[in-house]
Amino acid sequence: MDKRRLTYIALAAAGVLTLTGFLLAFFVATPAQTIATLSTGGGRLFGGVFVSHPIDFGQKIFYFHVPVAITSFAVFFFTAYFGARFLITRDPAYDVKARIAAEVTLIFVLLTMLTGDLWTRWAWGVWWVWEPRLTTYFILTLLVVAYFVLRASVDDDERRAVYAAVFGIIAFIDAPISFAITRLVPSELHPVVIGVPGGLDGTQLAAFLIAMFGMLAFGFVIYQLRWREERVKERIEALKSALED
Amino acid sequence: MPSAPATAAKARPARKLSWRQFRAILRKDIVMELRTFEMLTSMGLYTLLTLAIYAIALSASGNGFDVRLIAAGLLWLAFIFTSMLGLNRSLVHEKDQGCLEALLLSPVDRPVIFFAKAVGNLIFLLIVQVFTVPLFFLMFLSSHAIGGQFWMIPLSLLVGAVGVAGVGTLLATISVNTRGRDFILAVLFVPLMYPLLLAAVGATSAGVLGGQSYVADFWRDMALAGGYDVIMLLAAYGLYEFVIGA
Amino acid sequence: MTKEIFALVSPSLPYVIGVYAALWAGLMIYVGVTLSRLGRLERQLVLVEDALAKQGRTS
Repeated sequence: MDKRRLTYIALAAAGVLTLTGFLLAFFVATPAQTIATLSTGGGRLFGGVFVSHPIDFGQKIFYFHVPVAITSFAVFFFTAYFGARFLITRDPAYDVKARIAAEVTLIFVLLTMLTGDLWTRWAWGVWWVWEPRLTTYFILTLLVVAYFVLRASVDDDERRAVYAAVFGIIAFIDAPISFAITRLVPSELHPVVIGVPGGLDGTQLAAFLIAMFGMLAFGFVIYQLRWREERVKERIEALKSALED
Repeated sequence: MPSAPATAAKARPARKLSWRQFRAILRKDIVMELRTFEMLTSMGLYTLLTLAIYAIALSASGNGFDVRLIAAGLLWLAFIFTSMLGLNRSLVHEKDQGCLEALLLSPVDRPVIFFAKAVGNLIFLLIVQVFTVPLFFLMFLSSHAIGGQFWMIPLSLLVGAVGVAGVGTLLATISVNTRGRDFILAVLFVPLMYPLLLAAVGATSAGVLGGQSYVADFWRDMALAGGYDVIMLLAAYGLYEFVIGA
Repeated sequence: MTKEIFALVSPSLPYVIGVYAALWAGLMIYVGVTLSRLGRLERQLVLVEDALAKQGRTS
């Protein structure tokens, strides 16, 4: 019961915080100037396209996109964590938890991809750039999809759980490496994406943090609801089979 | 009093034993391959086919196109597809002939199985590379001089192959027990390999292209690829026990 | 390849706000659907529990 109330409180908080963050971002937070405008006065080349704007509205995406991305990574951690717990305890409940965490990760990774893609279209005028963050998230999407493809292709419950746990852990280790290497390797210089020179000012930071906690709360709520759903389903199945006997 | 030397004496044969087990599994793989040459011929042919497709892909690019710009990528592409084929084969053999079960029944340490299989796969990958690289140069780069230094190319290929064989062995052991084996291997393998490939292609490219500060670039990419190898091999080594026991 | 895209970019502000609002609404709808599904399942659970209790009494 206690956890249930916590879930509803978190849901309310998530709704209010993300909405507030959203409104703050567009109507209150100080508009950022692009680095392009500040440093060169003119513009800058992004993926072969010349970009210049005096005030960078594209930066608004930051308040939505970054919290979503951070949430997706935070939830992905729990896929690996529950996977490890499963390997240690062999308790099937942890497998279900890991799977649900992966589902929530998929939702947030897809949201990240969508918002990130809008960002590139808006800020740089192209639909897709092989830019470190986008590339990493593309790979992360593939990893999460691979997790579900793997689950779908194993029939035995125990074996599926072990394989999924192992892959979840190794994918979680791989993701930051992929992030680091994507940023370091390609020869041309990559643009610094967040166009906020000198950090965030008060209103910007407030909007960002509010949206951030809202999104984390959303991740928690979705996870909790799905987990409860799985448990109720399991219980119904068990009772039904008892009823038939 | 006598316990300390006794355990020391026990520990030494144990280490020797696992070394012997390691060699036995490795020898078994190599002997089996030498009997049929099945894996090497299929991997080699697959590489040749990939090179033929490259010729088609480059056929419209004209004489002005400098193949060196993408040579490292092409080389790695051929290599990655071939290695997926080989990794899948290597474990399908084990599985279909019941060899994996037999290995599990025998009192062999699980990590020994992992390293023996991974080293076996690495050897086969390296043999294919030894044939592929000269062929590739002959076919596509005979009219170009190498910009960097030649030793960089085999070194980067080696460091990449270590990661491919190590993580690939873990993933192939998973995928061989699923429906749609080779497809699952590709789905798991490509995104996990992505950072290593990026670093390895960068290093090979530095060797092929040369140019400004290519030595520094090469070592930076080699360090990244090496770091990936170390971290991911440790992870694969730690997780293999669970996979093979499932 | 160089082209000036500033003019192309700025008027899309309402669209971007719109898409973000839509994404946010989508998230809320997803939570709502999950909640209602959960509620239905919980009611079903109560029914099955009742049925089981009745069966236990009769047999």
